Amino acid sequence: MQDAITSLINASDVQGRYLDNAGVEKLRAYFQSGELRSRAATTISANSSSIVTQAVAKSLMYTDITAPGGNMYTCRRYAACIRDLDYFLRYATYAMLAGDPSILDERILNGLRETYNSLGVPIGGTIRAIQAMKEVTADLVGAEAGKEMGVYFDYICSGLS
Amino acid sequence: MSLVQQVILNADEELRYPTPSEIRMIQNFCKTGERRIRIAQTLADHEKELVEKGCIKFWKRCPVTPSNSGNPRKTASCQRDQGWYIRLIAYCVLAGNEKPLTDIGTIGMKEMYISLGIPLANWVEAVRCLKEEAIALLGEEDAVEVIPYFDLIIQTLALPGAPYFVHNGTLEY
Repeated sequence: MQDAITSLINASDVQGRYLDNAGVEKLRAYFQSGELRSRAATTISANSSSIVTQAVAKSLMYTDITAPGGNMYTCRRYAACIRDLDYFLRYATYAMLAGDPSILDERILNGLRETYNSLGVPIGGTIRAIQAMKEVTADLVGAEAGKEMGVYFDYICSGLS
Repeated sequence: MSLVQQVILNADEELRYPTPSEIRMIQNFCKTGERRIRIAQTLADHEKELVEKGCIKFWKRCPVTPSNSGNPRKTASCQRDQGWYIRLIAYCVLAGNEKPLTDIGTIGMKEMYISLGIPLANWVEAVRCLKEEAIALLGEEDAVEVIPYFDLIIQTLALPGAPYFVHNGTLEY
């Protein structure tokens, strides 16, 4: 995986140069947002399970998907679904801390769509749940950090669809 | 690899969120960001000067060395390498840990220089001279950020493996 800093360093190293002004500006912006990122990560880690619960309640709980015949019917499937949502939230938080989405590609998105298709997990429902999680998280951490988290939730969604 | 990345990879290893102390590390890392950017830029702006001054010192201490043999190609490649190591140290200052230096510059460095026929002891002396020049340039306070990285290069080159003393049977040491 990469983060905002290493991706800049690797890009300059390939050319054998120091960071150019644009790179330094990006770095400066990242350092300045550090406080915001750390605070958001702390809040999310303290509330992760309730974020997932609320997101499920908002998006999937009262739909056909939890009724008999749906893909979240049976406790086992329900548990698998909230476990995956928990993973998505945790990795989105990592990516937000790093300021770079590459960890999402590496640890989540590679092969996820194929896995879900072969297991019969509906992609549409997953995306709806992730979008709900985005809203719940934004309510919790505030607009600015919520927007940053939203970038990574959307990244997961676009990687899935 | 930067400090932030290290924290994330450690947390992911255990399927957990970063702990409060890890978060505090990231916060401190970001707070000192401005200062580290300044140090890295100073290194970048003075790379040539550092290398030139370092070489003068180095050649005084080690006059018999490939870079001082009158072969301009050898001189140029030695100075180019010194510049590269300063650049890697500037990366490390920005990243907050030694990973850029080890990944790009020190793993396999010893083997490479041995195969090129560069006398390692002289190269250690050259790095030591660079370090002294860097301390003079940055001042005591800022130099604290770069000294460990110079030392890491020196350590990598100087480490001979486990110490081994020949015991010839007498008890006098």
